[in-house]
Amino acid sequence: MSSDIALLDPGHKAAGLTATNVSCWFGTKKVLEGVNLDMAPGQVTALIGPSGCGKSTFLRTLNRMHELVPSATLAGEILIDGVDIYRGAIPVTDVRRRIGMVFQKPNPFPAMTVAENVVAGLKLSGMKVTRAERDHLIESCLTKAGLWNEVKNRLGDPGRALSGGQQQRLCIARSLAVSPQVLLMDEPCSALDPTSTRRIEQTISEISETVTVVIVTHNMQQAQRVSHRCAFFLAAENEPGRIIEEGATREIFSNPVDPRTNDYVNGRFG
Amino acid sequence: MSENILSEGTPVTSTSDVLTPVVRRSRADQIFRGIATTASVTTFILMGLIGTFLLVKGYDALRVAGWSFLTESAWAPDQGGAFGVAAMLPYTVQIALVALVIAVPVALCTALFITEYAPRKLRRILTAMIDLLAAVPSLIYGLWGLFYLQPRLITLSKWMADHLGWVPFFTVDDQYGTSLGLFPSSTFVAGVVVSLMVIPICTVVMREVFSQAPAGEREGAMALGGTRWGVVRDVVLPFGRGGIIGGSMLGLGRAMGETIAVTLIISPSFDAKWSILDQGSNSIAALIALKFSESSTFGISALMAAGLVLFVITLIVNAAASTVVSKSRSGASTEI
Amino acid sequence: MTTTLNRTLNDSSEDKINTEERIKIRDIEIVDVIVMSGSAVSALALSYFFFQILLPVSGVLGFLVCWYVFFNIISTVAVWELRGAVKAKDHLARTFIWTGGMAAVVPLILVLVYVIGKGYHSLRPQFFTQDQKFVGALSDSTEGGGAHAIIGTLQQVGLASLISVPLGITTAVYLNEVNGRLAKPLRIIIDAMSAVPSIVAGLFIYAAWILALGNQQNGLAGSLALAVLFLPTVTRTSEVVLRLVPGGLREASLALGGTEWRTTSRVVLPTARSGLVTAVILGVARVIGETAPLILTVGGAFVMNANPFSGKQDSLPYFVFRLIRFPQEAQVQRAWTGAFVLVILVLVLFIIARAIGGRGPDHISRSKKRRLQRKGLA
Ligand SMILES: Nc1ncnc2c1ncn2[C@@H]1O[C@H](COP(=O)(O)OP(=O)(O)OP(=O)(O)O)[C@@H](O)[C@H]1O
Ligand SMILES: [Mg+2]
Repeated sequence: MSSDIALLDPGHKAAGLTATNVSCWFGTKKVLEGVNLDMAPGQVTALIGPSGCGKSTFLRTLNRMHELVPSATLAGEILIDGVDIYRGAIPVTDVRRRIGMVFQKPNPFPAMTVAENVVAGLKLSGMKVTRAERDHLIESCLTKAGLWNEVKNRLGDPGRALSGGQQQRLCIARSLAVSPQVLLMDEPCSALDPTSTRRIEQTISEISETVTVVIVTHNMQQAQRVSHRCAFFLAAENEPGRIIEEGATREIFSNPVDPRTNDYVNGRFG
Repeated sequence: MSENILSEGTPVTSTSDVLTPVVRRSRADQIFRGIATTASVTTFILMGLIGTFLLVKGYDALRVAGWSFLTESAWAPDQGGAFGVAAMLPYTVQIALVALVIAVPVALCTALFITEYAPRKLRRILTAMIDLLAAVPSLIYGLWGLFYLQPRLITLSKWMADHLGWVPFFTVDDQYGTSLGLFPSSTFVAGVVVSLMVIPICTVVMREVFSQAPAGEREGAMALGGTRWGVVRDVVLPFGRGGIIGGSMLGLGRAMGETIAVTLIISPSFDAKWSILDQGSNSIAALIALKFSESSTFGISALMAAGLVLFVITLIVNAAASTVVSKSRSGASTEI
Repeated sequence: MTTTLNRTLNDSSEDKINTEERIKIRDIEIVDVIVMSGSAVSALALSYFFFQILLPVSGVLGFLVCWYVFFNIISTVAVWELRGAVKAKDHLARTFIWTGGMAAVVPLILVLVYVIGKGYHSLRPQFFTQDQKFVGALSDSTEGGGAHAIIGTLQQVGLASLISVPLGITTAVYLNEVNGRLAKPLRIIIDAMSAVPSIVAGLFIYAAWILALGNQQNGLAGSLALAVLFLPTVTRTSEVVLRLVPGGLREASLALGGTEWRTTSRVVLPTARSGLVTAVILGVARVIGETAPLILTVGGAFVMNANPFSGKQDSLPYFVFRLIRFPQEAQVQRAWTGAFVLVILVLVLFIIARAIGGRGPDHISRSKKRRLQRKGLA
C-alpha cells in the first residue's frame, strides 16, 4: 500500500480518518486516554471541550505533528482511508501533505510573498508544476479561501503585510494548494474578528465537499454552524482527557446523553 | 469505530502500548542529515586536535622539564636552562583579575542600565556600542593603551603606591621613593587595557540573563510601590545571579588568553611578585608571541607546552562558566 | 547583537502619524531636577575649594572625579532628607548605574578618536596601491603603502570565511534543526572552542599544519588559524539566529508535507537570512583584526605577495604590530596609518552588519523582486 495518489489530482477525494484507542503522553504525564473517533469523509467534525483537555494534542496526533515535541509519545492507531499513518505504510511527509493543518495563530512564511506562500507547499513537498498550473492554483486556492479579491493586486507583497484575518485565510489557501484530503484546524478563528470568522466558516462549508475537516473550537455557535459531527472532550482534574460524548452536532447540542456535555454546551461550566 | 483494522503483530492489549512512529526519510533528507552530521563531527574532531597537537608537539619539552614545568619560573629552553610557567601563570592570573575587578562592575552597571534604566533610544545605541566595543581589535586597544592610557594611568599608579601602599598588591619597594618611571609596563596597566575587552563579553551575558527576569515578578514588585532599585535588587539581581557569575567567568577566560594588547604593554619579567603597580609583568600568551620568532625547535616545543597549559586553563574556566550560564537560562517552549 | 537579531523577526512597528497630544510620562519630577542641579552646583563649588586649596593634585580628571564624588554625597543626602531612605538608595543606585553604563562607552570613543586622529594624516592614496619594497626606516611616513598587507588580510579572512561560514552554519543547522544525538556534546565543544585564546589557535595551526604536515608559513596557514577562531563564533551566533525563527513556521512547513531539508532550506534559512548575514559580517569584523595567530602563521612580509598559497604574506594587523615597535618615528607613523585603515574597515563592516540586521525577514530585495517578476510571482 503506497501513497500513489496522483499529486494535485483534481478529482481527489476527501478521506476518512479513524482514531482507535489513542492515548498521548508528554513525558510521563498522560494527557489523553483511549480516544476513539471516526471522522467521516467529506464531513466537518468539531472537537469541543474546556481548555487543557487535550483537543490540540489529539488534533496533532492526526497528522503526526505530536511527535515533534521531544518528550511526546502516543499509543493506539490512526488510519486514513484504512491505512495506518504511524507504522510506515505512508511516508510521514505524505501523511502531512494529505492531512493538512491550519494553526491557531496565522503563520505565513515571512520570507515569502503572498503568491509564494500559496504555492509554498509545492516547493516544500517537491511537487513540480508548470507555470500555468501554478498560476491557476494560486488563483483557485485564494478564491476557495475567499481571499482572491482582496489580494489579487498584492500578490507580490510579503505575506505578513496582510491583516490577521487575511493571513489566516492565506494559510488556509496554502494548505489547500497541496490538495489535502483532510484539513485539521486548531481554533483557526480565535485571533480573528467576527467578519473574518464568518468568512472562514463560509470557506469551511465550501471546501468540506472535497476535504474532510476537523476543527477545534471554543465557540459553541461556530461548532453548531459549521460542523456535522461533534466530539466533546473532558479531562477531570489530574487525569487524562477523554471523549465524553460524540455524535451528530444537532444531537450533541439539543439533547446530549451525558449531563456534563449538557452543562458544557450550555455554558454552565468550563 | 466498529471495524478496528489492526495491523499484524501489534496486539492492542493495553492502552499503554506505546507506539514508535516509523519515520522513513527521503533520500534528500538523508543526505541533508548526513552533511549536517559530518560538519558537526568535523567541528568535534577539530577541537580534539587542538589539544592533541599541542600535547604531541609540546611533549619533548614536557618530558625534559617534568613537573618542574609548573614550578620553574625561568624561561631558557634554548640555552639548555630550566624553563617553566611558574612566573607567567601568576602574572596571567593577576592581569586577568585586575581586568575583572574593573570590568565586572562596569559590565554589571551597563547591563542593568540597558535592561532596566535606559530610555529606549539610548538602549539601542548603547547595545550597539557594546557590540562595537567587542568588534574593535585587541591590537587597537593595545596601541591606545600603550600610547594614550599608560602615560596618564601611571599617575594613578603612583598615587596608589604612595597612599595605598599598605595594601599588599600596591606595595612598591623602592629605597629611593617612587617615581613615575617605575610604573609603566605593569600588570596594572595591562589589566586595565584588557578590561576593555572583557566588558562586552560580560555585558552581553548579563544583559541576556537580566532581560529574562520574569516580567510578572518585575511588575509585581512595581505594583507594590517598589522603586526601580527595589525591583533590581529583589527581582533582577537574584534572578540573574547565574548570569553575573557565568559572565564574569567567561570574561576571566578571555582575559587570560588575551595576547596582543598584553604583549604590547608589558615588559617581560620572570619573577612572580605580589605587587601589580610597578614595572614588569608577563603572561603565557605574551610569552608565546614574544619568544616565538627567536626560538629553536626545542624552544618551540616548550612554547607548545606553555600553550597547552593556557588552553587547558581557559577550557576549564569556560566550561564552568557555560554550565553556570546555561543553568540560569530558560529553555525554549513549544506553544500549542 | 541579539537585539538586532530579535528585531529582524519582530519588526513590524509602523510609525503612525498622530496629532493628538500624548501624556508625557516622566521618570523624573521637578523636585528631582531642582535637587540634582542644586547638588551639582554645590558639589562644583566644594570640589573647587578642595581641589584648589586642600589637595595638592592637579588635572582635569582628578577634578571631575572629585566633583562626581561630592555630587553623589550631596544629592543623596538631599534626597534622603526630602524623600526618605528608600528613595535615597534608589537615587544612588540610579546614578551609579548611569555612570557605569557611560563608563563602558567613554573609552570606546576615546580609543576610536585617538586612533583615527593619530592615523589619518599620513594616509595617502598610495597606501592602497604600494607596498614597503622601496621604503626604509628613515623614509618619510607618507611613502610606500600597505597594499600588500591589505591584500593579505583580505585573502586570509576570505579563505577563513570560505571554510568557517559553511561549516559553522551547517553545524548550527545540525544543532537547531536536526538536533541529533551529538547536539549536546557539540554545544559544549563549541562553547569551549570559542574560549580558545587566539594565540593558541595560531600555535595549533603551527603545530599541525606547519610542523606536522610540513607546510610553510603562508597566507593559507594564517587563514586556517583564523578559521579556528571564526568557526565557533559563526556557529554560536547562527544558532542564536536560527533559534529565533518561530517554531510555528517549521511546523507549518512540515504540516504542508515539507521534508526536513526543504523546511530548512526554504523556510528556516530564508527567514533567518538577515540575521545570518549580520552574524557572519560581525564575525568577519572580529577576525579581521586578529594579530596573535598570524604572528605564528603568515610569516610577515614587506613586499606584495598576492598568492596566499605560497610564500610569506603580510596582514594589516601584523603590519601594524611590527612597525609600531620600531624606534623610528616614520615607521611608527606608518603603523598608525595601518591601524587607522583597520579601524575604518571594522567600522564599515560593523555598520553594514547593523544595517542588514535591522531588516525584517519580509524585506524583499531588489534582486529578489526581479526574480519574482521573471517567474510571474509578483
Ligand atoms: N509540549 C507540552 N509539554 C508538556 N505538556 C503539554 C505540552 N503541550 C500540552 N501539554 C499538556 O497537555 C494537556 C492538553 O493540552 P492541549 O494543548 O491538547 O489542550 P487543549 O484542549 O488544546 O487546550 P486549549 O483549549 O487551551 O487549547 C494540557 O494539560 C497541557 O498542559
Ligand atoms: Mg489547544
